[in-house]
Amino acid sequence: MKARSIIIALVIILIPFIIGMPLFLLRSSGRIPVKAHLVTDTRKNNGGVAYKGIKVDWTFCPDWEYKPLFFPAEEYLVFMFHYRNDNESNVQVMPSYTFASPHNRRYSANEEISMYIENALENKLKAEDQTPITFEIPSNATKHYIVTFEKPHSLDNFYVDVDVFRDVTLRLHYKKEDGEWSNYSNELIRKYKGRG
Amino acid sequence: MAMFKKIVKNFGPEWGAAVMGTAAICITMQLSSEVARPFSSLLYVGLGFYLLATVMFMAFLIPWTLRFFMYPEEIKKDLQHPIRGNFFPTMPISFILAGTGTNKLGPMLFGPWFAYHLSIVFFFLGAVGIFTFGYLLIRIQFLNKGVRLEHANFSWFIPPVSHLIIPVLGVCSMDVYWAETSLAPVLFLISMIALGVGFFNFLFVGAAVWHRYIYHTIPQGRLAPTVMVGIAPTAIIVIFLIKFIQAIEASQGTLFGINFMSMFSPIKIIASILWGFSFWWLILVTILLFTHYVKIKDHPLEFGWWAYTFPFEAFAVATGLLAACVASHFLYGMLIILNTLAVIIWITVVFGTIKWLESGAFLKPQH
Repeated sequence: MKARSIIIALVIILIPFIIGMPLFLLRSSGRIPVKAHLVTDTRKNNGGVAYKGIKVDWTFCPDWEYKPLFFPAEEYLVFMFHYRNDNESNVQVMPSYTFASPHNRRYSANEEISMYIENALENKLKAEDQTPITFEIPSNATKHYIVTFEKPHSLDNFYVDVDVFRDVTLRLHYKKEDGEWSNYSNELIRKYKGRG
Repeated sequence: MAMFKKIVKNFGPEWGAAVMGTAAICITMQLSSEVARPFSSLLYVGLGFYLLATVMFMAFLIPWTLRFFMYPEEIKKDLQHPIRGNFFPTMPISFILAGTGTNKLGPMLFGPWFAYHLSIVFFFLGAVGIFTFGYLLIRIQFLNKGVRLEHANFSWFIPPVSHLIIPVLGVCSMDVYWAETSLAPVLFLISMIALGVGFFNFLFVGAAVWHRYIYHTIPQGRLAPTVMVGIAPTAIIVIFLIKFIQAIEASQGTLFGINFMSMFSPIKIIASILWGFSFWWLILVTILLFTHYVKIKDHPLEFGWWAYTFPFEAFAVATGLLAACVASHFLYGMLIILNTLAVIIWITVVFGTIKWLESGAFLKPQH
């Protein structure tokens, strides 16, 4: 191969790494400031919900800012759920999450944004996020899961459904009071088991 | 200008394969970045691959499209060709892969709203191109009196694969943004039609090519990389199945009345079986390559080496996604190995392509 061809090949091969590595270093160095205000950690005030030997706690950040490279930053509602297994045997869980704003507008969690902010949140909370759809929680152990929702404009109340139990859905209610988000109630809603 | 015209004239339908082989690495990188903290930088390397693939896509799309208007007789010749003709869908596949990359990594660049809308544009453009070339190629194949047994080869899998890849972006789009919109049933229907077309064509074409491999000689060395394409169909169906179950899960556990809890177990079993077939095929390719083509020194440097990249990367993606459902530790470990191998194969093929271009073979296409 001619030297010119080798240089062309090397340039093509190195492009993804030359673009990727500085971006990674920039993001992980903390030079792009992350506006994140953790308001609730139910583990601190024993505010979580226990059902059938599984204790569900959560940390909530209502204004996590993520700045895309070419577009302005946007705020996201970010939760980290903590599942503690108090049973004597291991349990397998498959949690799923839905966000509902007024007029029952429902949104799915945004896995992509969760992936981008994962490291920063894990560093902040000193907890490791689970990747698989389904994961096992050993007895007396805790596993964590990051959930991110896109934030509708002028939001002042919402609820999040956490589907982790077979027969009930855990619903977390939030509303804004004096500019602060408050988790005013949590409920376990029995699931419909009919054929409708 | 004369040089540009020469490039356009000789810009074969197969160049989309280079975009495919580069674009799919961004997804293998993204999945690998989630395995463990030390690999998290791979997400950004994946973004680099996404940007490189986008540049390649735009750069190749221009001469590829111009050729239809400037040299229609060359296009006609290629379409009639029993091997080259099958490579036409590689460009519409690139639209679907660009859309998938935009869906997964686009929010890092443009935010979710813009990325999800852009990826849906890619979905429709890609789907129209794939169905158009699908009908065109099958018509030519049915009416062409010159097709003989020795023409059958695994590049014939490309049109079925092109249809199978449509539902991957379809369900990725339903996963987050479009599930609750009126577009969701349209995406679902197009995805299911494409899946049906791709799956049955894969079985029919597979039988025809298998027939040639058993009852006739196997293809000469320049077609050796096409054997790798056999990994792709089942690997892509695995990707579809896992993304589909994720889309159902994201839609409060029920999508079009399809329930997550009732679907998850069968999907795990079917996906594992299909993944196993792709894995078996990968070993088969290795055996054929080293015990036949390399042994008889019949494996010339060709642009067709790109056929080694995308199917292998599709298998890596299938492995990464299946790991989210079964045998996580083993499959995540395998994903990291496959991702590394995918990069090594890609680097080898990039060097090979530059060498191939240097040899002047681009301006003397072999028919």
